[in-house]
Amino acid sequence: MYVFEGMQILLHTRGVTLPRVSIDDDVRRHVYDVTMREGTPPSASRLGELASLPPGEVAASLERLAAARMLVLRDGEVLMAGPFSAVPTPFRVTTPTFTCYGNCIWDGLGIAATLQCDVDIDTSCGDCGAAMRVAVRGAEVRGSGTIHFALPARQWWQDIVFT
Amino acid sequence: MLLFRSEEHIDRWCTTWRLPKGALLTLEEGWRLARVWYGEDRRDPAWRRRTLEETEAVFAELGLTSGFWNLR
Repeated sequence: MYVFEGMQILLHTRGVTLPRVSIDDDVRRHVYDVTMREGTPPSASRLGELASLPPGEVAASLERLAAARMLVLRDGEVLMAGPFSAVPTPFRVTTPTFTCYGNCIWDGLGIAATLQCDVDIDTSCGDCGAAMRVAVRGAEVRGSGTIHFALPARQWWQDIVFT
Repeated sequence: MLLFRSEEHIDRWCTTWRLPKGALLTLEEGWRLARVWYGEDRRDPAWRRRTLEETEAVFAELGLTSGFWNLR
């Protein structure tokens, strides 16, 4: 039995009620805890160690989180824990403590919002490839250029990698 | 979502890839959207994705009201 659920039942029988934390909530917490400290999502095997779960339960939980559009998977591993990417992209984000990658320019800005810190985003013009840098300093964004959303919002999840 | 040097570059990219032109945001608009979208702590067990109605409210609050942002 999953340890949190076991504890909740035990405490409930003694008249204590804790907020319910599901396996998926716990796995997601570990995904973001590691990603926000290190810049890259953890592997499925590391998630198993962190959440004290066997591989099959980790895999099932990740699948449920992906079905709920909270994560994007590739070959059973976390590919995107929005706004972070598990693989290098054209949106390299430098924070005070690590360098990581956003899935798009919006996610590059989203990393600054998630971590609540200053960042530099190194990217390039989608057309001509010229290097571009965007900086977030406090509540301000600095840089130049225009963001293009190619797909209408209702289509974003039809092909999230392209989006 | 890509960053371009200017709208002219966006037009050229759309022509090259035979894609319709989408929505254009300034960096400031993109930053406001990112702060709302990613401002919540996803480590929190209580965190949930926004409902369709909540997402529509976010877009509306930021002035993103054209058909491009319609979710239905």
